[in-house]
Amino acid sequence: MTDTTQTPMSAEEKFGRELVARTTFEKEAVWLPSLAVHHMNAGQTFIEGKTFTECLIEGPAVIAVMNGTTFDTCHMGVAQNPRTLLMDPRGDMIAGAVGMSNCRFVRCRFVQVAFTGAREMLDEMEKDLASAWGTAVQA
Amino acid sequence: MSLLPINRPVALVEDFGAAVFENVDLTLFEVFAHAARNGPGLIQGRTFKGCRIQGPAIILVSNGVTFDETNFGDSRGDIRNLVLKPVGDKAIGTIPMRDCAFIGCEFYGVGFTGTDEFVAQIVALPNSL
Repeated sequence: MTDTTQTPMSAEEKFGRELVARTTFEKEAVWLPSLAVHHMNAGQTFIEGKTFTECLIEGPAVIAVMNGTTFDTCHMGVAQNPRTLLMDPRGDMIAGAVGMSNCRFVRCRFVQVAFTGAREMLDEMEKDLASAWGTAVQA
Repeated sequence: MSLLPINRPVALVEDFGAAVFENVDLTLFEVFAHAARNGPGLIQGRTFKGCRIQGPAIILVSNGVTFDETNFGDSRGDIRNLVLKPVGDKAIGTIPMRDCAFIGCEFYGVGFTGTDEFVAQIVALPNSL
């Protein structure tokens, strides 16, 4: 017997659900605001447990770096001063940022993306960016 | 008569390049993407009236941006949760806006940044928003 009570899923909704269900992204461009909206539409307030390998991560977006998110050999963005890639939240919570938890970025390139998070994370990231920037300048 | 809260049904945008958005629901990054494809990477000279404006996005509030009867969004009891401050001298990852007017709008999942003066103005708003 056919169930006629369910509304057929639109192509866009199907695409969004499949995108949210994916855990790996490889050698592709990822439009971060769109990815975040699809997660929100699926009831997920942040993006969790995904691995991005050799991807172009495009903004405009500010990533809230949450627990377990790592960056391995990534190009974090173009800036004369690496501090430009960081945003300091004024409160304990952060509106407007794309929360990412337990995500792994491997050899990715970020365009029009900045980073924010807890004070300790920002300090650590600023140190790492300054170190990488110094290495690049010397090279 | 108060414009807020917005109780009308959802209304989608047909033209992201419009100069005036009235009584529609829009994602800010799509307006920005349209603007960036057709000119400089900023949203300039637009009026938003009676709109629900969705993020995720951090607006870089530049010259000539005004907010009239606006709900800046759920601040979770602390208006500072809606505000970020660039660590450096630029604001990468934000959506720059210039000469735009927001009238009777509601923001969802949107943060704000700008000059020290602007940040101070937002932080001084009542927490009941």
